Amino acid sequence: MSENIVALTALLSPAAFAATAVLSWIQPGFKPGLVKSMSLFSTILSIALVAWSGYFVFERGLLQSALIGVNDLGFSIRLDSLSTLMLGLIALLGFIIVKFSNNYLDGDQHQGAFMGRLAATIASVQLLVLSGNLGLLFVSWILTSISLHRLLVFYPERPGAQIAARKKFILARLGDMSLFFAFLLLYRGFSSGNLEVIFTAIKNSPSAHFSFMTVEAPALFLVLAALLKSAQFPTHGWLIEVMETPTPVSALLHAGLLNAGPFLIIRMAYVMDASSVAPILLMVVGGFTALFASVAYLTQTSIKTALGYSSVAHMGFSLMVCGLGAYPAAMLHLVAHSFYKAHAFLSSGSVIDLIRASKVTRTNQTVTPLKVISGIAMALTLYAGFALIWGIDPVNEFALLVVGAVIVMGLARLFTSALMVKSGALLLQTSLLSLMVTVAFFTLESSARYLLANQVPELALPGWGKIITAGVLLLVFGLVVFIQIIAPQLTPNPYYRSLAIHVRNGFYANALFDRLVGALSVNTASTKPEMNAFETAKAEKKELQEQLV
Amino acid sequence: MKDLVLTPTITIQGETLLKVLRQACKKIAPVWPLENFVAVNPYLGLTDQKFDTAAQNLARIGGSTMTLPISFYLNKIREGKITHQDLTTALYAKSTLKMSVDAFIKHLELLDDQVQDPPTIATLIDVATQVSAKDWNRFYTSRISVWAASYFDHGQAMWAAADQQAGLFSAWKAEAAVDRTPEIAGLTGFRKAVSALPADALKAVQSALNILELSATDLPDYLHRLLLKVGGWSAHAARLDWDSELYGGQDGKLIEFLAVLICWEACLFQCLETPVLRVMWTQAQKGFSASLDQTEPDQPLAEKLILQEAFDLAAQREIIEKFQKVTNTLPKENTQVKAQAIFCIDVRSEVYRRNLELVDQGIETIGFAGFFAFPIKYIPIAHEVGEAQCPVLIKTGPTLKEEIGDTKSTQQAYQNRILNRRVYQVWKSFRAGAISCFSFVSPIGLSYLPKLFTDSFGLTRPVPHPDQAGLKAKDSKNKSISLEVATHNHETVGIPIEQRIQMAKTALSAMSLTDNFGAFVLIVGHGSTTVNNPYATGLDCGACGGHTGEANARTAAAVLNDAAVRKGLKDEKMVIPDNTVFLACLHDTTTDEIHIFNEQEVPANQSEALLDLKKTLAQAGHATRTERALRMAIDKDVDSAIKGRSKDWSQVRPEWGLAGCHAFVVAPRARTQNLDFGGQSFLHSYEWKKDNGFGILELIMTAPMVVTSWINLQYYASTVDNKHFGSGNKTLHNVTAGLGVLEGFSGDLRVGLPLQSVHDGENYQHEPVRLKVIIEAPIAAMNTILEKHESVRNLCDNEWIHLFKMDEQGQVSHRYAGNLTWEVLGKS
Repeated sequence: MSENIVALTALLSPAAFAATAVLSWIQPGFKPGLVKSMSLFSTILSIALVAWSGYFVFERGLLQSALIGVNDLGFSIRLDSLSTLMLGLIALLGFIIVKFSNNYLDGDQHQGAFMGRLAATIASVQLLVLSGNLGLLFVSWILTSISLHRLLVFYPERPGAQIAARKKFILARLGDMSLFFAFLLLYRGFSSGNLEVIFTAIKNSPSAHFSFMTVEAPALFLVLAALLKSAQFPTHGWLIEVMETPTPVSALLHAGLLNAGPFLIIRMAYVMDASSVAPILLMVVGGFTALFASVAYLTQTSIKTALGYSSVAHMGFSLMVCGLGAYPAAMLHLVAHSFYKAHAFLSSGSVIDLIRASKVTRTNQTVTPLKVISGIAMALTLYAGFALIWGIDPVNEFALLVVGAVIVMGLARLFTSALMVKSGALLLQTSLLSLMVTVAFFTLESSARYLLANQVPELALPGWGKIITAGVLLLVFGLVVFIQIIAPQLTPNPYYRSLAIHVRNGFYANALFDRLVGALSVNTASTKPEMNAFETAKAEKKELQEQLV
Repeated sequence: MKDLVLTPTITIQGETLLKVLRQACKKIAPVWPLENFVAVNPYLGLTDQKFDTAAQNLARIGGSTMTLPISFYLNKIREGKITHQDLTTALYAKSTLKMSVDAFIKHLELLDDQVQDPPTIATLIDVATQVSAKDWNRFYTSRISVWAASYFDHGQAMWAAADQQAGLFSAWKAEAAVDRTPEIAGLTGFRKAVSALPADALKAVQSALNILELSATDLPDYLHRLLLKVGGWSAHAARLDWDSELYGGQDGKLIEFLAVLICWEACLFQCLETPVLRVMWTQAQKGFSASLDQTEPDQPLAEKLILQEAFDLAAQREIIEKFQKVTNTLPKENTQVKAQAIFCIDVRSEVYRRNLELVDQGIETIGFAGFFAFPIKYIPIAHEVGEAQCPVLIKTGPTLKEEIGDTKSTQQAYQNRILNRRVYQVWKSFRAGAISCFSFVSPIGLSYLPKLFTDSFGLTRPVPHPDQAGLKAKDSKNKSISLEVATHNHETVGIPIEQRIQMAKTALSAMSLTDNFGAFVLIVGHGSTTVNNPYATGLDCGACGGHTGEANARTAAAVLNDAAVRKGLKDEKMVIPDNTVFLACLHDTTTDEIHIFNEQEVPANQSEALLDLKKTLAQAGHATRTERALRMAIDKDVDSAIKGRSKDWSQVRPEWGLAGCHAFVVAPRARTQNLDFGGQSFLHSYEWKKDNGFGILELIMTAPMVVTSWINLQYYASTVDNKHFGSGNKTLHNVTAGLGVLEGFSGDLRVGLPLQSVHDGENYQHEPVRLKVIIEAPIAAMNTILEKHESVRNLCDNEWIHLFKMDEQGQVSHRYAGNLTWEVLGKS
């Protein structure tokens, strides 16, 4: 079968979703039977098409459709392992989220519109990952943000929804601008919008061959676009506020759309790899965000807000790993996080079950230096053992060692918390779990590397800049893990508590942003003060009444 | 303390001030956390006022409405549900407007629902919002909420920012002195203003009132408004006080919370003070005292209250007519029954009972509060402390421990559960910890892909059921209860034999079940089966304190099957035949299945009868599901569709709960036996002729009657004003502090029921009418009880419930007209 046709078949998937979105114009309201069936059908078709594309990608590696456009710039589809993986991820999540929304939104006066906007968003993300040309990549990048915006303001009367969407809108346009400059420079430098042409040109040239404006500058703009798309510090505020719209949107956003940042970097891995400053920027901002947001997560008292911080953190970590050059590891983290976070959001109503199950008799915990040291030693031994068996090359696979160090920190946490309680059975179970974590990591990481073999540059010893940045980050990460390990032993003092308050408030980045966009302003049409709020309530009730009349 | 500032305003101090604060706080109804979400009358603190007066006050003080929009009632008039007669009666009873019904309807049709509600009184923050054109209200609510969630957190945050050990006020003050958010938002000097406040809550209130220049006469409504503005967290604090007072402790949490709210106002005033604000604030204060003189409700509200009254009258008329259509004579003689089944008074039991009786007429059903008069504290296996399995109005009695079969298995299960919990905690510290979460997600995150699918198809639960978490499936099946006296964590558990006999006697007498026992007596507690539903416990048994009735049913059966108890009862002239077996059962109200827990106690010679019984129960279940399917618009595969709902993690309406409840009948079952109440009536079995001294009647009127009115008013309020007394849209729910939900990112803690629980998107599934209580008992007896219990009398006199008397013919004959007088109802 011709390459063109196969590549274009994949396009049927976003097309089906787009058709669902169009259908929802006819049936935008209450109990939209047709739209519900059509969206479910689209997701199933989408999964089938992924299997279809996967087969051909497995056979041929890379498939590209013919270009529709001028001067090598425009619309073309690229099927490779990266785009197929992402397409599969979105198809599977799409199925789960659409199935969930069919019941969850039942009885909503605008369920049809909701399903339509959901479908439009899925379509635009699928188009994004399938893009084979800078032109389509740019257009679909903007489409994702616009379709998302429509979901964020699904309940337009909610001031919180409007403000979060407004903040997101401003950042998204800045991101679009960055991406525009990045692509402009790339197109100028390589005289083509075709991704493969650009990648091949970079692959075939000795390093440092390109001028600043050809690779370094676009890479920096790409980094900027990715950081903005993935809500990295200090632009994370909108993301932790967008639970002003139904839960499935949060699931789709956190598990799907947010990935666009790291995806962009992985997609353009060759460009990133050829630049020297951009990855360091990615490591610094991503690493800091990972640290900041994963600590802020600990202080959050509302489930969805906490999950928002967690997503910010995981995006930061993925970007940091991209910066290191360990693209397959970043991809693994991205995909794994998507499923984890989709589940976390969709099951966020189960928190009370967890609270009810938490009343089991507590056991005393004691932390002694010996226990801490043994815990760390056990983690190191386990990891080092596997690294030896697996044959990690510490020079060329330096990036992997860094990711591995983070895994060791996690294992140390596991072991030390198991050691705090005197129980052989607990230690045994924990050891088995640790073993499972280690085996899973090594297996999955090498699988990811195998799958992405031709789509991202090979691991190599990074420059000193990266090594030093990585070293500093690891040091701080380790310190934070260590503090958590000994936390039960720390007596709360006022400074510690003040720090908790500042962290819980996200270091006020969001409060500043709120002020900047005039979040409290009453004059904007969307925001209504409390004093008039009962009129809103009345209007809502009236709306409910309207079908009665 | 000598104050040199010559402000003439504040004259009250110390004790007097505390009294004023306490009075305001008593107007706030408590709300229970979602882990045992018990229905509460949200107007609890207002029942000493007439229904209409409370409506007027809530509108003026809280901006809250106690009726639906006019169009709702107009539709009911058009549909013929509200008749002209109803309207005439309501108009005549209420109005100062002397207007004919037709003129009234015409007048209403000209109005539309956009009629301006009366203005509410304004707090300083309301005024500041107006003056500065900045939404300080929303900002203030979100800051209070962020702090309160942190302070009251039940374990959602792993690193607590608020000092939960400290007193409520000092914890807030400590945090407010650190938090930079208000200043960034434009409240320059906020932290300084907070720091300048006295450390003592009461002194701080005094100082804040000075700053606000409020006088004593202004306070009651102003304070009430402050509390209503953050009504959710206020209600949570009120619940802490409720529990503390129930067990003889002190109140004070809500008073301190109110102190926080007053101090916020004062600090904000200091930060934003301008001449304009000062003038406007002085103006606003005039509103506080002006409104005191206003006694008549304003026009539109008065009209809506007339409509509501007419709607209530229509519903009363319907139920009275229902009784007229059938003759319900009591059975002449005691015919031997196959079995008795004691159900909770819950409206959902009504449907099942009716169908059960239809399937097998040899089964007699009895309605009784679902804790079966066993107010136990129950400690699930390996749990640290027990939970109250009784109505929240009463204290717990004996404490009982859950067991698994024999001692050895219990010990084994105990250790398994503790180990399981430890592993969970270790795993959680890894999964959720800072940085270590990254090492969790990379290797383990993919395992959520299959879980997404199995959860989606209802094959697995997103998280284990709390009753089964950490237990093996086999152990969950073999749960039992031990009555033996022992000690657990320095607490006596079990029930001594004398107490067992006493409790058995009390329970059976209260159920009017003292002779003619069948071979089986089913004690049917109830519970729901839902997944991923923060409101799950709201569907469980309120009489069991927001838990399922399983533990109570097990306890009751264990006590009543106890040979020593039977012997003791015999000595008291209460003879239970040897072949009578009490079966502990659970009615799953989501799937309408009944599960029997202690089948193994049935002797071999009755096993066939048991088999028959189980068949009957299954048939009744199917019939009940078919009936319920209509309401859920399920037209095919009823059984699997309804059971599917109970496992669907995306289902926002797994069952209708108590939606629609509007009547409570206290009479022998024979009076209601041939009537279909459509799952909307509570039924309590009661024979006044067996009730010497009317002790049981007193219990019914002070406990179940109050509780049913709480449930009815919870649904009422969630329907008419979901914004203030409901919890909004379920799809936006964000579980917070382990105890409630926010709607969306921020805002107040939400109370009451979600919109989805009262509305199906097209129609209200709960139509707002006040509870009709129909009791077959002598008027004099009821009057005596009303006289004795002021709070119950308030409910009836102030029209929060409508009380009726049933006569000897099973007809509704009298209506309580207030002030211990009754009016005869004419036969139509």
